Amino acid sequence: MTGFTLEVRDVTKRYGDGPTAVSAVRGVSLAVQPGEVVLIMGPSGSGKTTLLSMMGALLSPTSGTISLDGTVISALGEGRLPEIRLRKFGFIFQDFNLLSALSVLENVAIVAELAGHKRGEAREKATQILTELGLQERLRFLPEKLSGGEKQRVAIARALVNDPALLLADEPTANLDSAIGHEIMRILRRVAKEKGRAVVIVSHDQRIRDIADRVLWLEDGEFAEAIELATDPVCGMSVERAKATTAERDGATLFFCSRGCRAEFLGQLPTDGIDPASA
Amino acid sequence: MNGPVWLLARRNLLRSRVRFVASIGGVALALSLVLALNAIVDGVSAQLTSYIDQSGADVWVAQTGVRNLHMAASSLPDSVVEAVRRAPGVAQASPILYATETISANGQRKIAYVIGLPSDTTMGLPATVRSGKAIPGRGEAVVAEDFARQAGVGVGGEVTIFGRDLRIAGISVGEGNLLNTVAFVSFDDFASVRDVAHVVSFVLVRTTPGASANAVTKAIEQSVPGVTALGRSAFAQEERQLVMAMAGDVITMMNAIGFVVGLAVVALAVYVATLAGRREYGLLKALGARGRVLYGVVLVQAGLSVAVGFLAALSFTAALGLLIPAAGLPLALSIEPASLVTVAVVATVIAGLASVLPVRQVASIDPAIVFKRGVAP
Ligand SMILES: Nc1ncnc2c1ncn2[C@@H]1O[C@H](COP(=O)(O)OP(=O)(O)O)[C@@H](O)[C@H]1O
Ligand SMILES: [Mg+2]
Repeated sequence: MTGFTLEVRDVTKRYGDGPTAVSAVRGVSLAVQPGEVVLIMGPSGSGKTTLLSMMGALLSPTSGTISLDGTVISALGEGRLPEIRLRKFGFIFQDFNLLSALSVLENVAIVAELAGHKRGEAREKATQILTELGLQERLRFLPEKLSGGEKQRVAIARALVNDPALLLADEPTANLDSAIGHEIMRILRRVAKEKGRAVVIVSHDQRIRDIADRVLWLEDGEFAEAIELATDPVCGMSVERAKATTAERDGATLFFCSRGCRAEFLGQLPTDGIDPASA
Repeated sequence: MNGPVWLLARRNLLRSRVRFVASIGGVALALSLVLALNAIVDGVSAQLTSYIDQSGADVWVAQTGVRNLHMAASSLPDSVVEAVRRAPGVAQASPILYATETISANGQRKIAYVIGLPSDTTMGLPATVRSGKAIPGRGEAVVAEDFARQAGVGVGGEVTIFGRDLRIAGISVGEGNLLNTVAFVSFDDFASVRDVAHVVSFVLVRTTPGASANAVTKAIEQSVPGVTALGRSAFAQEERQLVMAMAGDVITMMNAIGFVVGLAVVALAVYVATLAGRREYGLLKALGARGRVLYGVVLVQAGLSVAVGFLAALSFTAALGLLIPAAGLPLALSIEPASLVTVAVVATVIAGLASVLPVRQVASIDPAIVFKRGVAP
């Protein structure tokens, strides 16, 4: 599993055509090495999900190439892609996306079965990974009975069960509270470092920057180099210093995502959100 | 690759209430309609000839050109009975008189095949007698149970036939049908009331063992002038065709509409159930499932829905077949293997198509797109 490289070269994705076409990703290039944790950040609608889907062979680029170990996977037909999705990539979705009718164990084992393992073998592998992720008490549960953090750990187990080279996670903590979110991020980092996998995480959560080896900033479908980021002290979002609204306090400059956050910080709005005049 | 397909299909059907109710429930309901209508039509059609089928006669002999019972006027000189008896292959021959008449009791009126029976006959008499006797004497009548029940009369009660009040001497079962009932009177009463002496309507024939009905009909027609002879099943077939041509249009139309509506509901139920799972089929594809796994899952689901729905519908129809006669309705449902096979095959094909359509699109586009569109609000 060592020595692979995922290489994205000059990739563009346009949705639709004619005057209503949307260019979600424009001429993006990057390479991901084994054992590396790459964090892709950027505002909502900047093309993060689109880029990650193309990297995971879930979406074909309009132009450019994506190659894995020298094989141009973006040129492969639908006949070859299932194998790659099954064995090379583990995809973790923002909203978990577990199969609702299958138990925790079955959700993980079925992916191993699809890759050709016998049922018993698949269940054994699934049980082992789920146990490592602390879910041994939940094997027979249906997804609807799980908490958000548990669901995301099941999704991670599913992504890992066929021992993929790359893990791709789209806002894996967006629907989780911050403590659980941090736990998920620690797991993802461990996964990368222990087995030499590459992990690509999409997020706009500033708090997880520290687990990444490399942070990329996507904006309007393009990587913006050397952008200086700051954290909005009110909502916690990442903001670009050059474009943010600012305020001075105690000699330091603070950066906000919007006027609203700035106003709230400066105490210009009632913090409970109720305007006494209209009550 | 069969493992995941079966697992998913089974779990999807059983664990998702929407899919279970929509597909299996909808299919069961629709197929119940189709099977019950089929059974009614087949039952009505079979019942039309129940008197002929149960007459005990292997060959029916009538006036030349008469090939059935319903609305037929057949008149033969009684010497024909002796002539038929002498024909080769004939073991027994015995006459009946026959007319279609309105009979009434307690103000309840119904069209009946009225049969005049000789006192010593062994053919053409009621096949099953619920109470009293099978062959009426003079001044007596045997009526069918469903008519007796509707009119609220029993053995010892009165029935008016040919304008004469007759005492009910027996109650028979199984000869009536949706259109008319059957009543039996004595041969002599029939002849004197209708003022027909030395005349018979039909001669019923029992063939000697080993003789074919076909050969005997030929022999009779050759040796006895002025008659048409038909084997029992041919005679019944002619009867069924004539009555269905006269009264069956509505029934056949109803059946055809029921068939189309029922199968449209089967298609819709399976389509909706599959559509409800579209997002998950997109997810499966994103995880690396091949197109044939997706098609396999929906096809197995459709097949299971039809199989379970079909069994439920069959049980429903069988129960209906027991309940309807028990409620006193003169309607016997008949579950014919041929129509079961037709319904099962057509329903399976339709359900298969209806399940493949929603998945075809999923199989042909990038999985990321299925997700985006499929996201619940
Ligand atoms: N399936 C699609 N069809 C059309 N436009 C899309 C589709 N998916 C995404 N887009 C558009 O592409 C842009 C980038 O979307 P996305 O990749 O989801 O961004 P992000 O994940 O950073 O929020 C947005 O303008 C979005 O509206
Ligand atoms: Mg996104």
